[in-house]
Amino acid sequence: MPMVTAIILLPLAAALALAIPGTSRPQARMTALLAAGLTLAMVISLTVRLDRDAAGLQFVDRHSWVSEAGLQWAVGVDGISIWLLLLTAGIFMLALIATAWRPPEREVGFLAAMLAGEASLLGLFAAADLVIFYVFWEAMLVPFFFLIAIWGGEGRGPATIKFIIYTMVGSVPMLVAILATAFVAQDITGQFTFDISELRGVSFSEAESTWLFAGFVLAFAIKLPIWPFHGWLPDAYRAAPLIVTAVLAAVMSKAGVYGLIRVGVPTFPDGAANFAIVLSVLALIGIVYGSLMAWRAPTMRMLVAYSSLAHLGFIVLGIMAFDIQAGQGAVLQMVNHGLVVAAAFVIVGLINRGTAGDHIDRIGGIASGAPRLAAVFLIVALAALAIPGSNSFVGEFFILTGVFRHHLWLAVLATIGILLAAVYMLRLYQTAMNGPAFGANARAIELRTLDYVVLSPLLAAMLAIALWPAGIVGSTRAPVAKAVAPAQVAAERPTDQIEAPVVPNPPPRALPLPGDEPEVAEVSP
Amino acid sequence: MEPALAWIVLGLPLLGAATLAAWPTEPPRSMTRVLGVGPIALGFLLSAWLYVQMLGESSDDRLVVSRVWEWIEIGDLTIDVALQIDPLSVMMMLIITGVGSLIFLYSTEYMEHDRDYRRFFAEMGFFVFSMLLLVLAANFLFLIVGWALVGLASYLLIGFYYEKPPAVAAAKKAFIINVIGDIAMVIGAFILIVELGTLDYALVFEAAPDGLSRGAVEAVTILLFVGAAAKSAQVPLHTWLPDAMEGPTPVSALIHAATMVTAGVYLVVRTHELYELAPFASDLVAITGAVTLFLAATIAMVQVDVKRVLAWSTVSQIGYMIMAAGLGAYGAAMFHLMTHAFFKALLFLSIGIVIHGLAGEQSLDRMGGLGRHLKLAYVATAIGVLAISGVPGTSGFFSKDEILASAWDAGDLGRALWVVGALAAGITAFYMFRLLLRTFYGPEPGGGYGVHPHRSRWPMTVPVAVLAVLSLFGGWIQVPSGWSWITDWLEPVIGPESIPGQQAEGVTLVASIAVVAIGAGVAWWIFAADPGRRSRLAGRFAATRRLLEDGYRFDPVYQQALVQPSRDLGDYLYGRFEPDFIQGMLKGAVSLVRGGAIALRAAQDGLVRTYAFVMVAGVVSLGALLAWVVTR
Repeated sequence: MPMVTAIILLPLAAALALAIPGTSRPQARMTALLAAGLTLAMVISLTVRLDRDAAGLQFVDRHSWVSEAGLQWAVGVDGISIWLLLLTAGIFMLALIATAWRPPEREVGFLAAMLAGEASLLGLFAAADLVIFYVFWEAMLVPFFFLIAIWGGEGRGPATIKFIIYTMVGSVPMLVAILATAFVAQDITGQFTFDISELRGVSFSEAESTWLFAGFVLAFAIKLPIWPFHGWLPDAYRAAPLIVTAVLAAVMSKAGVYGLIRVGVPTFPDGAANFAIVLSVLALIGIVYGSLMAWRAPTMRMLVAYSSLAHLGFIVLGIMAFDIQAGQGAVLQMVNHGLVVAAAFVIVGLINRGTAGDHIDRIGGIASGAPRLAAVFLIVALAALAIPGSNSFVGEFFILTGVFRHHLWLAVLATIGILLAAVYMLRLYQTAMNGPAFGANARAIELRTLDYVVLSPLLAAMLAIALWPAGIVGSTRAPVAKAVAPAQVAAERPTDQIEAPVVPNPPPRALPLPGDEPEVAEVSP
Repeated sequence: MEPALAWIVLGLPLLGAATLAAWPTEPPRSMTRVLGVGPIALGFLLSAWLYVQMLGESSDDRLVVSRVWEWIEIGDLTIDVALQIDPLSVMMMLIITGVGSLIFLYSTEYMEHDRDYRRFFAEMGFFVFSMLLLVLAANFLFLIVGWALVGLASYLLIGFYYEKPPAVAAAKKAFIINVIGDIAMVIGAFILIVELGTLDYALVFEAAPDGLSRGAVEAVTILLFVGAAAKSAQVPLHTWLPDAMEGPTPVSALIHAATMVTAGVYLVVRTHELYELAPFASDLVAITGAVTLFLAATIAMVQVDVKRVLAWSTVSQIGYMIMAAGLGAYGAAMFHLMTHAFFKALLFLSIGIVIHGLAGEQSLDRMGGLGRHLKLAYVATAIGVLAISGVPGTSGFFSKDEILASAWDAGDLGRALWVVGALAAGITAFYMFRLLLRTFYGPEPGGGYGVHPHRSRWPMTVPVAVLAVLSLFGGWIQVPSGWSWITDWLEPVIGPESIPGQQAEGVTLVASIAVVAIGAGVAWWIFAADPGRRSRLAGRFAATRRLLEDGYRFDPVYQQALVQPSRDLGDYLYGRFEPDFIQGMLKGAVSLVRGGAIALRAAQDGLVRTYAFVMVAGVVSLGALLAWVVTR
């Protein structure tokens, strides 16, 4: 079976298998771990075999379904999405290990929902077709709805309502926009399709491009979230079980930025160019706002949640700069943020193990009783504040380099976020770890075997990226160049900054085969 | 020349630190000592060997860049993991590992009673690694990495006693102020990438004269200097260094006196090609140095905590180096950097013997007459005081005079700064003799000493003795109108440098001897000649004293103008804006959807149903549209 399809279907099949009544707990655990492990192995094998210099989709799996209606199953990966697949498969593997080790109540259902969530995220990141993209975008909500509504903590009811309905408020315009895109494109090219790579290069008029982009961007903005659409985030992160919060922050938060770089910017370059400054300024506000909120947040979870808002702002800035360096930095930062925020939530969970509440100011001095945890926490905190030498620094540095090239003041103002990150992360670390010991049972918090199992892969990945970022960044150059090139033309950037050929409005028959480089005559921008 | 040597020197302290950190339990102390001191001492020997090898090369072959792997290729920018091995970095390596070895050895004894023996050496080793990375980096990116990692090491060691709230607060302050500096340097790097497309030193310096506009080069150099000022505690980013004295005394000696805080001077010298294109920035550097050296010297006059006296004197001495670097006297700046490393390390270590002997006492008010108990510390401190005051013949005399003489020759601005520097030299002599007299002379404090001041063993005394010798005679390697080994050695990096003229040397010599004599004399008159005079004078200058004791009140201003408003804004956003505006917006959207759903459906409630409804409605409308397309 084609690999990418298998990667999506395996966890889904496992989730369905667990839904069969009468599955015993050990069976469920075994199935879940096996499915997640195999999925991860397959993603790793794809990563190894990926052509790192290719711009287009690879390992494409395409099956026409209702060809008259343009419906098809189309999935594939490129140098951008492969890292999100790897992140998803890796984080879910760790989450399932942690779940299996300390099972929650109604464990079988929990595992099934987690696997379904994994499948939908993998499907989203691999989608090569707008309908597939939309289906997974919506399908993702079902497992997370149950995960929060059933296994959540205090306030889970209102949190779920906010989370689900607010997300839907964004998805409905996106559905309309998807349909409209196909229709409008048909008028231009004569072909009715939802295929993302075929829709690229369709020369929508500026007005069409702007409206279609607007239809998508609300969905992305809420999912991301971009300030001021983040209202659902604190409640959902607070109410969800910690493992789910970690997954939400590490993986699901990448759905919105991924949508921007996969669909929004390449398909609607004029619209993206018109929205670039608005989105960048909102992202900048999000950086400063999220950082200030994180500084004053009373609980550890809220602090990390709001820091996420700030960090995602950097990624949005990077994508909306339409700059190859910034775009490559943004892709790297998606992975970095996933790793760091997952580790941060793991540590919050460990601290909660030995404290009555989650309040930062009611604990202190844990370092003397739990020195190993303190050391790991420090590493994670430093990565979160992007100290030079850390993996996150690489991403933020190149994002801001690219932003600086085009919008000097945006980049300079965004560095306020770097300063505030140091302020709030040190507040969290020092208040909890240093000073006189009180309010926490440090022995319950100190790292145990399982904690090493979960944390070491995250730390190892952070270290590897810090030492050799080229490992990830190397494969992103061609796809990022291709993704931003139309928007660069739309934003009237100097031609020496544009690396990929821009092919406006290709006739249907001349459309490149999926995964191939365009062979039509290049039209110089 | 063998570039691998530099890699080994860089790797050794990291290896030692990592081994100590990863050891599952607290290792035996003997092992900690070996793993702590060994890599640094070995690093010093290898650096010396590298130095000897480099001596054998012709001066053109003394500039080597050693690449290992391509770190990143992003857009059209490539950055390698690479080391710059040249006379400047080798000189810094020798200072770092040389002074470092002595301080590490001293620490084995000084920290003997501490619970966290292993952690101390692991963090110190990490510091040496980071500092070596800073001086060896061959491009601005790894310079920034080293820059931030020494900041991290400094944070860890200032906050070494992490149960003590003042230490924790001081660590945080140092970290945050250094992040400000890092950010400025990062923005400087952005300009270089955007304008020149590279961060390699060699390529940047080669391309800068044609590739950078005047505005760009001034911006880059000013931004780099903000980083330098944060790290080297120059006004107005100096406020963290006195607080940093919360760390153990060997930390103060190594990081906050001898090596890390001089990184700003290294940076200006390393990037002098850029500063030479930026006259405005260079003047700014020189003026900042002069302002800092003067303000810090005046503050040091009234401090009561011995370590704070030394901290402010460090700020002041670095001000001299920065001033020299800003005036283009790079050889003089590096010369003073070296002698300062000797005599300031000496002062901290000998004062450390006092603190150690008095079980942690640091207040001058609880000292006096210690010369009788701690002879070695007394002699060593006296040598350090002579050297820092610039008494003729000592190391500080040669290096400080060279700075002043260079200033005299550096135009009108130079003359003005010469006056400031000469005046501050007198103040320096005053406050250093005050420290010496109030510690070792005079009556013992009322009630005597609670603990008997105890002598130290060889690991503490040998380093002090070695540093004392260096502080006394280390200046003789560069003698006016004689020989200039430092400047000659650095020539491949800093280019040929003009030597101060006869007139400059002469005026400076006379002036500096005079001000030192006056400063020391006034100190004697106040603190030794008549025991009552100090309290009589203190009353008369009460307001000035308070202003100086508070360090001209930079801290409260920052607190009220920057920190508190930001915190209030955060509280407002958290307490008011978020619940009212953001949540209000969300509630509106949610009730809109639910209202719509309820209106369309029979009045049933329930989230799953709402959701299912919208899902189904979406799919149905999708199907209908598709059907329309198909049948069209």
